[in-house]
Amino acid sequence: MSLINEDEALIAAALKGSAYAWEKLVKRYESRVYNHGLRLTGNSSDAMDLMQEVFLGVYRNLHRFRGDAKFSSWIFRIAHNKAVDMNRRKRLMTLQSKSGDQDERDIFEQIASYSHDEPDARLSSEELNSQIVKMLSILPLDQRLIVELKVFQSQTFEEIADMQDISVNTAKTRFYTALKKLKVVLEENHVLP
Amino acid sequence: MSCPKTQHLLQEYFSDDLAPLAREEIGNHLNSCEQCSNELEALLFAQSNLQKWQEQQVPHWDRGLELFRREHRSGNFRSGFWSRWQWLPTAASFAMLGILLLNVSVTSNQQGFSLSFGAGSGNSEQFDVQLSEFQARQQNEMEALITRVEDRLDSNSIQLLQAVMDQTQQSTAENLDRIYAFFEQQRIRDLEDMRVGYQELVDSDYETIRSLQQLAQFVSYQGTVR
Ligand SMILES: [Zn+2]
Repeated sequence: MSLINEDEALIAAALKGSAYAWEKLVKRYESRVYNHGLRLTGNSSDAMDLMQEVFLGVYRNLHRFRGDAKFSSWIFRIAHNKAVDMNRRKRLMTLQSKSGDQDERDIFEQIASYSHDEPDARLSSEELNSQIVKMLSILPLDQRLIVELKVFQSQTFEEIADMQDISVNTAKTRFYTALKKLKVVLEENHVLP
Repeated sequence: MSCPKTQHLLQEYFSDDLAPLAREEIGNHLNSCEQCSNELEALLFAQSNLQKWQEQQVPHWDRGLELFRREHRSGNFRSGFWSRWQWLPTAASFAMLGILLLNVSVTSNQQGFSLSFGAGSGNSEQFDVQLSEFQARQQNEMEALITRVEDRLDSNSIQLLQAVMDQTQQSTAENLDRIYAFFEQQRIRDLEDMRVGYQELVDSDYETIRSLQQLAQFVSYQGTVR
């Protein structure tokens, strides 16, 4: 076995029953998957649920993993499907349901003002993240997923198109449409007093 | 005035594998069209806002270890039988050293390995012949052993499966199939690793063993062995 691909070595060991290898494999990806879930669902409890479902899926299908794709791509393909399932069961991150405490407009103003100034020390990382989440929440799930996979997971449009069962061109159009919406939200809220 | 090219152009701008020529064309248009370049700037700005995400730490969780251990433990023989299985190549290597140093021969039968101590050998030519005969014999023994283990594994997989099902209380056919497929895969892999491991051992240790054998030969002349 080549030593170059640590993932594959861990997978082989986990398939042979090594709990240590399994844990190490999970540790390598859990943060990426969890943060992915946070951006998709907007709250930590849904993000945890999603992450656990993803790794259960990884565990159940590990013997099917072939080294022809990157393991990370394979994981995010599973994550994509789990997010779609989850969204079918309960709508993920609808704007009105999540934020009882704050006025939407305030939030977008904060994003806009933050974005235009130099990094604002007043914003904690949680606040910053929650603003990003609010921004993403205007997108329907398929577009949110594309933005997520493209911007945060560096997947190619080809990989994304394959996951969503659409053409590469449609994937590009969806990404463009999503960015346009985000742009509009940022602009509108910056112009508003 | 809106430029008719904006959407197509910017969509292509974000492509993964844009040809240098296409990239140049897009660049040329962006240089000459204010509307497209402003639009692009705004889109990149929106994207850069997302990239300010601060990585959050994962709350504590069990990483699926409980499930993993439950499904891989399943009775004693998983840890007993299967870990002994990992020992086999090592055991084979010891057996080979044994025959060379002490003239022990290894045979396997339904009960397992048995050892017998042979008479000392005369000179090193004889030893070489013995060595190659031994290798051939051991390889045959190993093949026979693998065949028998294979048969035993078949019934073990079914028992293992039953144990898992009892523990998880999920006896749907789908689950059964899934778990069985999982173990089947594992069984084949283990057997393959075993074969490869043994072959590698035979290949790589041949020279080492030969020199150890010379040493043993020397020592036995001194009368310290046996
Ligand atoms: Zn233009």
